[in-house]
Parts: sequence; C-alpha cells; structure tokens
Amino acid sequence: MERDTIIRVSGLVKDFRPGFGLRKKRVLHGIDFEVKRGELFGFIGPNGAGKTTTMKILMGLIRATQGEARILGHDVRETAFREHIGFAPESPYFYDFLTGAEILDFYARLCAVPRARRAERVREVLAWVGLAHAADMRLRTYSKGMLQRIGIAQAIVHDPSVVFLDEPMSGLDPVGRKEIRDLVVKLNSEGKTIFMNTHILADVETVCDRVAIIVQGRIAYQGELGGALPAGERAFDVTFSALSPELAEQAEARFEAVLSGRGDRITLRIADKHLSELVQGALTHGAAIEEIVPVGVGLEALFLDAVSGKLRGDAR
Amino acid sequence: MRWLGAVLAIAGNTWRDAIRSKVLYALLFFALLLIATSATLATLSYVERERILQDVSLGAIRFFGAAIAIFVGVGLVHREVDRRTIFTILSKPVDRSAFIAGKYVGLVATLWALLAVMAGCFVAASLLAGAPLASGHAIALMLIAVELAVVVAFATLFSSFSTPFLAGCYSLGIYLVGHLTRDLYAIGKTSASPAAREFTLWVKRLLPDLEAFNRTIEAVHGLPIPPAEVGWSLAMGVAWIVGFLLVAVMTFERRDFR
Repeated sequence: MERDTIIRVSGLVKDFRPGFGLRKKRVLHGIDFEVKRGELFGFIGPNGAGKTTTMKILMGLIRATQGEARILGHDVRETAFREHIGFAPESPYFYDFLTGAEILDFYARLCAVPRARRAERVREVLAWVGLAHAADMRLRTYSKGMLQRIGIAQAIVHDPSVVFLDEPMSGLDPVGRKEIRDLVVKLNSEGKTIFMNTHILADVETVCDRVAIIVQGRIAYQGELGGALPAGERAFDVTFSALSPELAEQAEARFEAVLSGRGDRITLRIADKHLSELVQGALTHGAAIEEIVPVGVGLEALFLDAVSGKLRGDAR
Repeated sequence: MRWLGAVLAIAGNTWRDAIRSKVLYALLFFALLLIATSATLATLSYVERERILQDVSLGAIRFFGAAIAIFVGVGLVHREVDRRTIFTILSKPVDRSAFIAGKYVGLVATLWALLAVMAGCFVAASLLAGAPLASGHAIALMLIAVELAVVVAFATLFSSFSTPFLAGCYSLGIYLVGHLTRDLYAIGKTSASPAAREFTLWVKRLLPDLEAFNRTIEAVHGLPIPPAEVGWSLAMGVAWIVGFLLVAVMTFERRDFR
C-alpha cells in the first residue's frame, strides 16, 4: 500500500526582484516533488540552486509566485498546522542571553505546549539531544555543534511529526557531523518524516531514503538511493582471496568482469546475472570470498550528471 | 488564546532583550541626571524655582522617553530579521500579527518600566525641593506614557519594512512634525493660499497630534485638566496605536524573509 504523502509540491515558481526597479529573476521554475510518511528525504543541489528558497516557501517565510505547496494536506501559507512541523534553520542564531532551557521553554510556549508539561518536555528534549548538562548555560557559551543541537531541539520541542532541517551538518567538524547525523537517524527511527536540505552528499548517501536534486531552480532527479538500477542491470564487486591469476583472467574474459587486484586479493565487478555462477566456480577451485558489495549508482555520479545537465527530472 | 500566548511569549522575550540595550541605559542615565540636576538649575532663578524644576524634569522625561522609544523601536523587527531569529519563530504556529503585537507590547512594557523609574526620580526631586505634587502631575505622566506607546507604534511600523537608519529618520520626522501639527494647522488657517490651508489640514489629519499628550504646563502651574480632554487624548492615542500597528501587520504579512 502506498504511504501517505506528507509534503506535496507542485508547479512551484518563485520570482525575486534583485533590487528596486530591476527586472525580476526566476529562481524556481515550477518544481514538483513529494515526500511520503516516515521518509528521510534529502533535498540536494549546488549552491544557489533553490534549496533554501524552497525550504523557506515550505516554512511560510517567503511566498511562492505560482504553484502549490502542501504539508500534511495544509497550504503552507496557513499557520495553525505548524504545530505538527518543526524547522531547524542553517547556522541557527538564538537569543544568546538565554540558557538552553530558557530558549526551549520560549519555543514551547510559542507552540502552546501546556504549562504543566513544558518543564518536563524541555528536560526530555535537552537530554535527547545530549545537552542536559548545558541546560543552564547561556547560549553565548555554546559551541557551534551545541548550537546545532539546540537548533534541532527547538524544532522538536513540541513533538512534531515532520521535521525540516536546513544544512544541519554545515560547518561542523567530523565529530559534530556524526553526532548530528546520528540524531537525524534517531529522529527518523522514531517515526518522524524528515526533509533535509544539504549539499554534503556523503551524509545524504548514508542516511536518506530518497532524494531530489535541484539544479538552477529545476528538479533534475528524484528517486530512491538504493536500487537506483533496475534488476538485470545491477552489478556487484566480489573480492576473492586465493583466486589463481589464471582463473581470474578466465572470469574476466568470460563474464566481461572488470578486474582489479592487490596482493593476493582480487576484486571482480560482475553483472548480477553471472554472480552465482562465478561464486560457485571460484569456491570449487578453492578460492575464498572476502566480500560481495552491490554497486549502485553513486550519489556523487548522479549529482554530477544532474549538474552537468545529463538528467532532467528522471524520477525512478 | 494561542494568539495571546504567542504575543505574551514574544513580549517577554522582547523585554529581556530590550533591558540589555546599552543605549537604553545611557539615555536613562542622562534623563535621571537631568532630573537630579534640575534642582540646581532651578536655583539659578529667583522666582518659581519649583516650577522650573518640574518643567525641566517632565521635559527630560518626555524627551529621553521618546529618544529611547525611537532608538530601540526602530530596530525592533529589523534586528530579528537580520539575526534570523525570525525564521524559527515564524515557522512555529505563530501569526505574523502576533509577532508584531508581541514585539510592540514587550517594548512598551520596557518603556513604561523606565518611565516609572524616571517618574520616581521626578517625585523624589520634587519632594526634596518642596515642590507641590498634585493629580495634574499624575495625569501628565500618564499621558507621556500614552505618547511613548504611540511613538513605539510608528517606530514598529517603520521597523517592519525598513532598515534601522531609515526607520529612525522616518520616526524622528513623525515625532517632530507630530508636535507641530497644531501650530502648522493654525498657521495654515491664517494663510491666504488655499493650497497651504489644504496642506496643513491634511498634515493634521494624517499625522498624530502629539501635543495632545503634553500637559506639562497645566501640571506644573496647577491648572485644571478637564477629564473630557484627557479621555479624548487617550482615545486618540489608542486609535493611532491600533492604526499604526494594523499598517505594520499588513506590511509585515507581505514580506519575504530571504
């Protein structure tokens, strides 16, 4: 059964006037995409592609020139439904004279979290993002990673079902990136639908179910990350040890495999239709199998194709 | 209820932010200094020392109160946009009208607290100098409070679409002309030019008459202040506040936060 559509964007157009008296510039050219319930959706694109503009339209911060954007069935220009969504902006700035607990209490009040529940909820969320120890510290003393985590905390303090994250790993060191990535995965595993804007492909590849790639205000690709190739066209990298060079050469010739090797380890890239035959043959001749890794379409390749114009709205 | 809750949350935060402003404390310091030294200024005169003291003190309260209202008010909305704190607020179930109302209420509360401090200083200086205090002084101070609320309303309006510098210029202009509308209208009425008469009439109609909130002379000289006139000034003040804030909300509703 098809999952519910949580975010639906259709024909979204946005024009900006760069300055008074100047001609309008179109930054979104009628984009369409959908995000299903429970997905961790990556919205990626090069700088200036229209990612943040799209995010801001979804958040009601800017108004679309044409087209429609709906979240949970509501027009994004409405306000009341926002109690079901959370938003963590890029490089968030908060009132630095407040403590971590005070800022979350402020956002909880904005979301009408009942007074009786507020203090407890603030404690829960601070613990959830790993900032329980910093609850009473002023935000001006927080590191960038801590601010990013408090940004996620304020986005979920009212327990929304959809969370929007704008460049959540931007500007963080590898440890900070991993911490935020883990939080994002944890959020998703708790059943929240996540829409994430980013240009860090490695993070998207690690955590996202589906992506849309936006280039120059147009969706160049949207689809799943795993299984990007249809059955029959998939390939596997099979690494053997103790596979004789003669056998490797035979395999290379017979199965049109791509051979690479170092020391006594040999890796063959082989089409899926020949996999079982090759593995059985190798085992019969005394070789050992170290690993079998499916080869998908790498996100980087997909992204570069999208940017260079080879892809145009190929939804798979 | 949700709208009101958001207004109060934003107002509380604005209060906390505003009371950290160094400009605010600098201006408050000079206001208190002028009130405190008005007793010394009064000794320079042989006659009506108490009245000079109270005149200078109430003038200082009005001037510095308006200065704080304009200085802090013009950056009220712009600072939130510039610091991008507005992104996290407006992405919550918060109407833009609640945001404007919350910012306004927070700053007015701050100004009224400062006004209470200045009024306390004024009362102390008057008592020390043996100057009489009557209900007229309370009415004068109350009308200053309403005038400050009007000044914050138009400063908020300009802050909702403009930079602090431009908003400051607009607000200062309205404040100065607002104190001259009666005089301009009176001059216009005596003018032979129909265009001048029409112009001054429209200035009077379109801009707030801030002199309606100035009862310093009556308070200082112990003259009666008719309750009907006080009521009219209050009603006019509320009408101007609502008018300015409605325009601010309409402007703010149309804004894109890029």
